[in-house]
Parts: sequence; structure tokens; C-alpha cells
Amino acid sequence: MPIIVNLDVVMAKRKMSSGELAERIGISQANLSILKTGKAKAMRFSTLESICEVLDCQPGDILEFRKQDS
Amino acid sequence: MWSGENSIRLSRICVLVFSLMLAGVALSAPWLVRWFLDFSRAELAGKDGCFFTTIYLGSLPAAVLLHKLYRLLRHLEMGQVFIQANVEDLRRISWCSFAGALICLISSLYYIPWIFVSVAAAFMGLIVRVVKNVFAQAVELQNESELTI
Repeated sequence: MPIIVNLDVVMAKRKMSSGELAERIGISQANLSILKTGKAKAMRFSTLESICEVLDCQPGDILEFRKQDS
Repeated sequence: MWSGENSIRLSRICVLVFSLMLAGVALSAPWLVRWFLDFSRAELAGKDGCFFTTIYLGSLPAAVLLHKLYRLLRHLEMGQVFIQANVEDLRRISWCSFAGALICLISSLYYIPWIFVSVAAAFMGLIVRVVKNVFAQAVELQNESELTI
């Protein structure tokens, strides 16, 4: 998928563990892992809002669009 | 108190009853055919072999269909509704119906009333195919909803 999730990069910058982030945004670690590994098909605005609030970042820091080579 | 669980159980019992009936028909085919040929007023003398072929060939897709139906009901009982295996089962059930319809259609060459069975089987196959298409869409929607974080 051409949408890349850079959540692990932002988490590393903020020195936050998966367990802590999952707890603070109110999702399971399994779901956070789906998000981090790019397996997710969609993200709710509410989840994005919580992530941005907890990590103090913008949606663009987490999501990136990369053109697919055809 | 009637519940969805009991309904599935009843369906499974019906599938088992139909399986027993199918086995009964397959085992008693020589007597059934003999009785039918004697009873029928149509000129069917010497057509025993054709009837046996139709019954035994038709028993194969019918047996596969009943097996897939039973498996589908088992999945429903376990709460596994919108899964790929159910879509595959429904697809096979539909093809078994079409196979039965084809066998009956060919059989109508020696005994025309088989055509009614053929049309009924083809119509059933069509209905199951539409249900399969609905299930396939539902599986896709469920996967998408499960992967929405």
C-alpha cells in the first residue's frame, strides 16, 4: 500500500514503548502492532487524534504517501 | 425456548436425515427402479440402466452437497459466520446443484420429467450462488472492519 505508517519512528523519537502508547490511546497492543506493521486497512480519526495528542505530533508525521512503482 | 442455536441444530438434523435418505435411495435403487418401471405407464421397458446411471451419478454431487452443507452449519454453530471457508463451501454447494441439474437435463433425453428436477436444481444452484456472492462481500467487509484501528 502506498500509505506508509511511520508510527515506530515517532515513537522512537519520543522514547515511548508500544505498551505505554497502547495504554494511553486506549487500544490493544495487538491492534497497535497491526498499525505499526502497516497491515491496517484504515485508521479512525479518533485513533489518529489520540496518537497525535499522546505523541505530540501531526498526522503527517505518522502517515506518509509514497507513489507505487508501476 | 426457541433460539438460533436450536435452529442450526434442527438444520443439521435435516441434513443428516437427507443424507440417510440419499444412502437409502442409493442402496435400494434396484428395487426402486423396478417398482417405478412397473408402476409407470410410460414406455420405459429396458431403461433400467439409464435410471441407475442417473441415480448413481446424481448421488455423487448430492453427497458432496450434503457434506458441505453440514460443514457450513458446523461453522455457523461455532460462531464462524463470515469466513472464507464458508464462501468456498457455498461455492461448491452451488456447483453441485448445477452438476445435478446437468445430469438431470441429460437424463431428460430418455425420460422427459427429469427436466423438472433439472430446472429446480439449477434454480437452487443460482440462489446459493447469489448467497455466496453476498457472503464473499461480507467476508471482505468484516476483514476491513477488523483491520480498522
